[in-house]
Amino acid sequence: MARAKIKRGSTSVDMTPMCDVAFLLLTFFILAAQFKPTEAVNVTPPSSVSNKVAPEKNFLNVTITKDNKVFLIMDPAIKADVLDELGKETNMSFSAQDKKNFVNSDFVGVPFDQLKQFIALRPEQVKAEAASLPGIPVDSTNNQLKTWISAAINARMGETLNFLIKGDDATKYPTFKAVVDAFKANDQYKYNLVTNSKAIPEGSELYKKNHGKPE
Amino acid sequence: MAEMEVKESKKKGPGVKKSKKHSTRVDLTPMVDLGFLLITFFIFTTTVQQPTAMNLNMPKDTKDQKNDMKVKESGSLTLMLGKGNVIYYYYGSDPTKMQTTGYKDVRNIILKKKQSTPAADLFIIIKPDKDATYKNAVDILDEMDINDIGKYAMVDPTPDEYSLIQKTEQAGGVK
Repeated sequence: MARAKIKRGSTSVDMTPMCDVAFLLLTFFILAAQFKPTEAVNVTPPSSVSNKVAPEKNFLNVTITKDNKVFLIMDPAIKADVLDELGKETNMSFSAQDKKNFVNSDFVGVPFDQLKQFIALRPEQVKAEAASLPGIPVDSTNNQLKTWISAAINARMGETLNFLIKGDDATKYPTFKAVVDAFKANDQYKYNLVTNSKAIPEGSELYKKNHGKPE
Repeated sequence: MAEMEVKESKKKGPGVKKSKKHSTRVDLTPMVDLGFLLITFFIFTTTVQQPTAMNLNMPKDTKDQKNDMKVKESGSLTLMLGKGNVIYYYYGSDPTKMQTTGYKDVRNIILKKKQSTPAADLFIIIKPDKDATYKNAVDILDEMDINDIGKYAMVDPTPDEYSLIQKTEQAGGVK
């Protein structure tokens, strides 16, 4: 009797397609990943249950460090116009080189009288000095943040600017209030506070509201 | 031009050694391993977290007393944020009756007040003093969201309240 011959397949599988897939995925993830923009100043924001993503266009970000210094970061797209407007409002003149420097700079962290030297610094130099920067004055006698905000509003007349306030956990409340007052002086009352997200506590009123009340 | 030697494999004379033909197939398993290892590495090291934003709407400052909002005394709860993550709170309009709590327990106090007060009357007044941090302010605003409080305001403490807080802090030895 003839025995049925079991055909023995090779146990080694062709790995080429799998290899292709692996590297395709790898390439995709690397290319799709967005690099975190270098943070000008190191700030740990508090967390909130809000799940709204911070706006990334037309923004004016006021960052308050833990030493209560105020820095201003803005959308690179509006920078050139803001500087023009600031020149008009403060009677300062900026050369073409100053403007170029300003657009390339990451943030503003000095009073007006040091602005030109500050924006001429290279990023490495700024980083080295970050801890000793004086910040933008926000006290009631010399509120330069107010001028910056008004310059930004006038530079983008008719468009909505997103005002972000990003504070550190350890920032003292009076500094935050001074920043809010600077906005208020320009008739701006809506802000976004940049926070880290955290989960809504289970069983809380908001949780019930979002999930429908159990009957 | 260099001469090209054309070999015809079929016509091999006797004595010509047959060269051993290696397989052109490479084992790709280690490469796949490496590929997936890198993928896993990148996925784990990437932080997905995007910063979120919390909306804050502030009222317009009015100098005119007539425009000030009237709050029912029975429905108001005042939370004063003090030094060292401490909250001082009182009901109604008598600051001397203030009690002390922390950020963990404040939710229960707010909830109790919310349940015992008609929704239309409920009003929470937040008064961060000079020593409160930004985190304290955000935490308490967040608490308003969590407890679904519709009406609240953030104002400065009055000088009386501030001195009261300072006395309590000195008595309690809070630095």
